[in-house]
Amino acid sequence: MTQTSKPTIDRRSFHAAGLTTFAASLIGCSNEPPTDEGGIGRLEAVWGRHGVVGARIHKPRAIAIDGRDHLYIVDFTARILVYDAEGEFLRSWQTPESENGRPTGLTFDRSRDQLMVADTHYYRVLFYTPEGELMEDATIGGVNGKGRGEFGFVTDAVRDADGCVYVAEYGDNDRIQKFSPEGEHLKTWGAHGTEPEQFRRPQNMTLDAAGRLWVCDACNHRLQVFDTEGELLSIWGEEGSAPGGLYYPYDIVFDEAGDLVLCEYGNHRLQKFSPDGESLGVWGGQGRDPGRLWDPWALVRDSTGRLHVLDTGNHRIQRVAT
Amino acid sequence: MFDTSLAFDSRWWLAALLLLPVFWALSYGGLSGLGAGRRIAALVLRSLVFAAIVLALAEAQFTRTSDRLTVIYLLDQSASIPEAQRDAMKSFVNASVRNHRRSDAGDRAGVIVFGRDAEVELPPVDFNYEMPRIESTVDRQQTNLAGALQQAMSLFPPDAAKRVVVVSDGNENVGDALREARLATAGGVSIDVVPVPLPPRADTVVDKVAIPADVRRGQPFETRVVIDHRTAPGQQSAGSEQGVLRIVRKRGELEEVLSESPVTLRPGKNAFSIRETIDEADFYTYEARFVPGDPKADASSQNNVATAYTHVRGKGHALVIEDWEHPGEFDRLVDALKGEGLEVTLRRSDRLFGSLADLQRYDTVVLANTPRTSGFGATPGGVVSSDSISGFSDEQIAMLVRNTEELGCGLVMLGGDRSFGAGGWDQTEIEKALPVDLEIKAAKVTPVGALCMIMHASEIARGNYWQKRIAIEAIDALGPRDYAGLLSWNGSDQWLWGQSRGGMITVGPSRNQMKARVDRLTVGDMPQFDPSMRVAAAAFAKLKNPTPATKHMIIISDGDPSPPSGRTMKAFTSQGVRITTVAVGGHGPPGHATMQRIANRTGGKYYEVRNAAALPRIYQREARRVSRPLVKELNPPLAPQMMLRHEIVQGLSPVVPPISGFVQTTVKDSSLVEVILRSPEPKNAESSSVLATWTYGLGKVAAFTTDAGARWANEWTGWDNYHQFFSQMIRWSMRPTGDTGNFTLATEVSDGKVRVIVDALDKNEEFLDLPTISGAAVRTGGDQSLSFAKTAPGRYVAEFDAAEPGSYILMVNPGAGQPMIRSGVSVGYSDEFRDRETNRPLLESIANLPAADGEPGKVLTDEAGVDFAADTAGAQLAAVDPYRRDLAPAVSRQPIWPLLVLAASVLFLGDVFVRRVQVGFEWLFGGVDWVRRRLGGAERAAPEPATIQRLRRRKAEVRETMGGEDTAASGRFEASDAPLPAGDSPLQEAPTATKPQSDGRTGKPTGKGDGLASGEKPAEEGYTSRLLKAKRQASRDRDSDE
Repeated sequence: MTQTSKPTIDRRSFHAAGLTTFAASLIGCSNEPPTDEGGIGRLEAVWGRHGVVGARIHKPRAIAIDGRDHLYIVDFTARILVYDAEGEFLRSWQTPESENGRPTGLTFDRSRDQLMVADTHYYRVLFYTPEGELMEDATIGGVNGKGRGEFGFVTDAVRDADGCVYVAEYGDNDRIQKFSPEGEHLKTWGAHGTEPEQFRRPQNMTLDAAGRLWVCDACNHRLQVFDTEGELLSIWGEEGSAPGGLYYPYDIVFDEAGDLVLCEYGNHRLQKFSPDGESLGVWGGQGRDPGRLWDPWALVRDSTGRLHVLDTGNHRIQRVAT
Repeated sequence: MFDTSLAFDSRWWLAALLLLPVFWALSYGGLSGLGAGRRIAALVLRSLVFAAIVLALAEAQFTRTSDRLTVIYLLDQSASIPEAQRDAMKSFVNASVRNHRRSDAGDRAGVIVFGRDAEVELPPVDFNYEMPRIESTVDRQQTNLAGALQQAMSLFPPDAAKRVVVVSDGNENVGDALREARLATAGGVSIDVVPVPLPPRADTVVDKVAIPADVRRGQPFETRVVIDHRTAPGQQSAGSEQGVLRIVRKRGELEEVLSESPVTLRPGKNAFSIRETIDEADFYTYEARFVPGDPKADASSQNNVATAYTHVRGKGHALVIEDWEHPGEFDRLVDALKGEGLEVTLRRSDRLFGSLADLQRYDTVVLANTPRTSGFGATPGGVVSSDSISGFSDEQIAMLVRNTEELGCGLVMLGGDRSFGAGGWDQTEIEKALPVDLEIKAAKVTPVGALCMIMHASEIARGNYWQKRIAIEAIDALGPRDYAGLLSWNGSDQWLWGQSRGGMITVGPSRNQMKARVDRLTVGDMPQFDPSMRVAAAAFAKLKNPTPATKHMIIISDGDPSPPSGRTMKAFTSQGVRITTVAVGGHGPPGHATMQRIANRTGGKYYEVRNAAALPRIYQREARRVSRPLVKELNPPLAPQMMLRHEIVQGLSPVVPPISGFVQTTVKDSSLVEVILRSPEPKNAESSSVLATWTYGLGKVAAFTTDAGARWANEWTGWDNYHQFFSQMIRWSMRPTGDTGNFTLATEVSDGKVRVIVDALDKNEEFLDLPTISGAAVRTGGDQSLSFAKTAPGRYVAEFDAAEPGSYILMVNPGAGQPMIRSGVSVGYSDEFRDRETNRPLLESIANLPAADGEPGKVLTDEAGVDFAADTAGAQLAAVDPYRRDLAPAVSRQPIWPLLVLAASVLFLGDVFVRRVQVGFEWLFGGVDWVRRRLGGAERAAPEPATIQRLRRRKAEVRETMGGEDTAASGRFEASDAPLPAGDSPLQEAPTATKPQSDGRTGKPTGKGDGLASGEKPAEEGYTSRLLKAKRQASRDRDSDE
C-alpha cells in the first residue's frame, strides 16, 4: 500500500485562500463596465426585458425620440412602445396590420409632434400622435409598385424644415421619394445598384443642421449625402471592420459639434465620424455582455447628448454617455 | 368539536398493573443503598416503564369522537336531464350549504358531478363556497350513479360523519347504483336523494333498424324500422304525430336515400318496412332518421336516429390510387381488372382515405405511379404554391401499412417515374412494407450531389422551428457521399459547419453532427442575399474530388433581403447550380419577385409557402433532386426475365414483352422475398427487380417497378396476357375473402361497451384452439385493437369501448392459416335518450337504506313537499337539512403503542441514570450567588462588621511575615494543583522542587533562599515527593544504623 502525502495547509492560509476566491468570484459576477474603446462613450445603463407583452420587448428594430426625451420603439410584435429616457415604460400601441411583416423605421417629427412609422411590409408611412392615435389621412403610400407614390419595402421617412417628407425604400426599387407637406409626390431619385446615387437598402436617413439628407446605404456599406433636390453632395465609406471601415451602417445621428455617430449592424458597434468621414472612435463590438451589441439596428441621441442604442439581437437598449 | 379518550383493544393486559405493588416490594430492598430521594425516583421511573409496557401490550388507542359532518352532493349532469334543471342543481347546493352547514361544528361540503364519469367539482371544504357555475365537464352520454358513489366514498375524510345527497333522475345506464349504495350505507354513509322530475313531453324514439343477418347479393330483403312514439301523460288522446322518415344506405362515402316519406305515428310502436336489394359486395350501413313535423313536440332529438350494419361478401375489391396531377394513366388497367371480374375503385391522390375504416371495403390497395407528395408542377421557374402541394400524410402511410400488416389487406405498388424511390417513398413506413428497398445500394459508380441551403430569419410564426425541421429533413434526404452546406446570418454570413473546408462537406461521416448543429441554429436577419450567395457560389466552385453531378441551392426567406447582383447570379448559372427559392411569410410581391427571378435565372423552382407545414415536403423533394437518380431507362427496350413460376404468372408464357425502363430498387435481404421478373440490365440481380413479392404481416405485397403501359411498358398493352397478368397480380395480393363458416361472430352492446364473441369450430365440429386470435374495431375517427380472452372451449371474447354511436367494422384474425373474419356492429344512441321518466323507485330504495348506527336517508323533495323545479329548487328544497345530526358520530382511532414503547425506553434510561449517577447540586448554589451578584444593587452583600475586618487584616499581616501568599496552604497535607513540567517524571520532582519556579502559579521566588533552608515546608511539596523523601530518610537511618 502506498502512502500518499497530503499537502498540509494551516487554518490561516486556508481562510486566506477562501476569502480570495470569494472576492474573486464577486468581481467575476459583477457587470464589468465596458471599456471606453476609442473614447466615444461610456456605458451608462442597460435596460429592457425580453418578452412580447407589457413593457417587454422582442427584437426591437427602430427607435425615435421626441422633444421630451421619450423613446418610441417598434419591436417584432409590431407594438410601438414608449419609454422615458430612463427606461420607464409609459404606453404602447399596435400598428393596424402586421401579418406580412413588422415596421422597421421610426422618426419623430418634432415640427408637427408626430411619429412617422415606416410600415415596411405594407409599403407605406403611417403617422401617429405621441399618444398613439393613427392619423389615417396623413398616411403616405400603401400600394406596392415602382410608380410615383408607390413603394417597395419602406425603411424610413424624414421631414425637412419646409415640411417635405422623404421616404426611403428597397426591394426591387432602392430609391428615395420626396413628397410635399400635403403628401403630394414631388421627386424620385436613386435605383438599385452600387454606383453613386444608387442604393442597396437605404436603411435610414437623417437631415443635418444644414438641411442636407444623409442616407445610410446599408448594403453598399457607405453614406451618401444629398441636398433636398436629390443632388449628390458627397459619398464616403468603405466596407471593413477596422475602425474607419463600415459594415452595414443602419442608422445615423448628429451631435452638436456636427460629428456623426453611425450604428453598424454588421460590425455590431457604434462608430463616430467627422462630417468628412474621418473615424473618431468606436464603441461596442459583438457580444451579449453589457457594452456589447448584437445586430444593432438603430440609435437616437437625447437632449443631454446621451445615445440610446437599440441592441436588437439582445432585446435591450443601452444608454451611452458621450 | 372533539371528544378524546383512551381505548384498549386487549384490555385483559391491564390486569398486569396489579403486579405493581409486588414490583415495589421486590425493588425496595435492592435500592436501599441509594438514599431516600434517589430510591423513590428510581421506583417511580421503574413503575412508569412497567406501566407503559403494559399499556402498549393492551394496544392502547387514542380515540377522538367528533360531531362533524361531511356532506357530498352528487349532481347528475347527464343528457337525460334538461339543461335548466342541471343548472338549478348548483343553486340548490349553494342554498343548502349556506343555510345548514354548521361552521362551529366544522362541517364540510363537497360536490361531485357525474355523467358516464364522475368529476370532483369541489372537494369537501369547511367554508361556504358559492359555486358560480359547474366547471367540470363530464361525458353526458351516460349515467353512472354507482361510479359517482364510489368517487364520493373515496373523498370522505375519516374524522366526520358522512352523508351523500344524490340529485338525479335515477336513470342509470352504467353500473349498479343500488349495490354501491348498500356498500356505502353499510360503511356508515347516509344517502339523501333529490329525484329530478323529467318534464312530461311526448318523445319519438327510433327504436331500431332491422335487417336480416345474412344478406346475399341480388337477393331482395326487408328493412324494418321500428319507431316508438311516446305520448306525454295526459296527452293520450292527442296521440298521433306527423313527421318524415328518411332511410339512407351508406357505403364508404356513397350515400343513397332509399326512402324519404311523410309518416304519421300512432302512440306506441310503429313499424315501417322497405324492400331492398344489394347488388355489390361491400359494407353497408342503413340509417333511419325521423324528423318530427314539430320539433318542440319531441323531447329529445338524439334518439331520432338508428343504424344497422351489414357486410355483403363478393368478389375482390381493389382500390387504385393514381397521381392527381396525371389522371387517366391507369384507365386501361382499371378496365382490364374490371373485365376480369374484379371490383375496382379509382381514387386520385388528393382525395385520399381519412381513416382505417375507409380502407376496410377494399381487399387490396394499388399505388399506381403515385408519388408521396404531388403538386410541385412541371415547369421550372414556375410558381408553386404550398396550397397546391398535397399527398399522403405520415398518418395515412401508417394506415396503409397497418391495413396490410395487421388487417391482411393487399398492397401493390405499380411503377412509373413517380413511384418507389423516385416518388419519395424512401424512408417511409411503406418502404418497410415493400419487398424491395428504395435506394440502390449496389451501384458501382454513384454520382454525388451538392446541396447548399441559405436560411434567412423569416417573419412567420415559429420561423426558427420550421427552419430547423426543414434543414434536418434535407440532411436526412441526402446520401452519404453528397455534399451539404448551410449558410445563415449570425452577425455575419456564416457557414454552419466546415467553415475551414469551404463550408460544404460530405454528409456521410458528419450527418449527426450536422443535425446537432442545426438544432442549435438561430437564424438572424440577413440584410442582403448577395454576400452569402457569393460565398455559396465560391464553395460550389471548389467542390472537386468528387465533382458533384448535381448542384442545387435552396434559399428560404421572406424575401426582404436586398437582391443579389448580376455577377453573383452569373456565377451560379455558369456552374449549372439550380437555385430553388422558397418564399415564406406574406411579404408580397417585391420580395417574391426577387426570389422568383433567382429561381427563373437558374432553372430552379420558386415556392410560395403560406402553410409552413408544407415546408419540409418541399425541402425533402428538393434535397432529393440532389440525391442520385433512380430511374433506369432501357434503350433499346429489353424483355424482363421470368425467374420463378408464381401464382401471378400462372398460365402465362415465360416470355414477356420488353420494357423501356423501370425504377431501380434493391431487393430486400429476406428469404420471404420472391423475385418473379427481373430486367437483364443492370446485371446486378439485386437492383434489377421488375416484379417482387412477399408477405408482410398478414398481408401480401407486390412491387412492380415498371409501369402498366403509359410510358415504359408500351409493348405490354398489346400483349394478349395483359389482362390476365395484372388481374392475377391484384387477385394474388387480395386479402382472403374466404367464408367464415367455422367461425361465428356475435356482438353485444351494453353499458357503452361492445362485446365481440367468436365461437370457433373446426370441420369436425370440434372446438378450435386459437392462441393468437387478435383483431381490431375500426371506425371513422379512430380504431381500437381487440384483445381476446378464452372464456370457454372454442369461445373467445373481446370488449371495447363504444361511447360514440356509429358503425364499427370488426376485423378478427383467428391466427395463421385462417382467413380474416370481417363483420360490423352498429352502436345506437345512448340509453340516456331512451328513458323519459324519473326512476323514483331506485332513488327511494337508495334513500331507504339505513346507515350503520344511524337513520335511513330522506327523499328531500318529499320532506319539503315540493318537486325539484328549475326555478324554485334552491329556495324550497333548502328547507330540508342535510346536516342534521342523526348519524353515529365519527370516531377516529390512533394506536399509540409505538409511542408507549418509546416512552418506556426513555424512562428506563432515566431509571439507570438515577441509580448509577449521583448528581451534586452545590454548584447550583454557587450559580445562584453569582446570578445574585450580577444582578447587582439590591442583592449586594451587607457590609462586614468591624471585628471581622480587623481579623482579616491581622490574618494578612501574619501571612506576610510568614513569607507570602504561598504559605496559605502550608498547613494542609495536600498535593499542589500545579501541573508537572511536561516530560518530567514525578520521580524527578524531589531534587528540583527546591529550585526557584518561574511559573507564576507555583509562586514567585522569595529571594530569601529556599523554603527548606528556612525550615518551612514549601507548598509545592507533593505527596509522592514526601513519600520519596521518607523512603530516603529511612534508607539513610538504616545505613547509619549499620
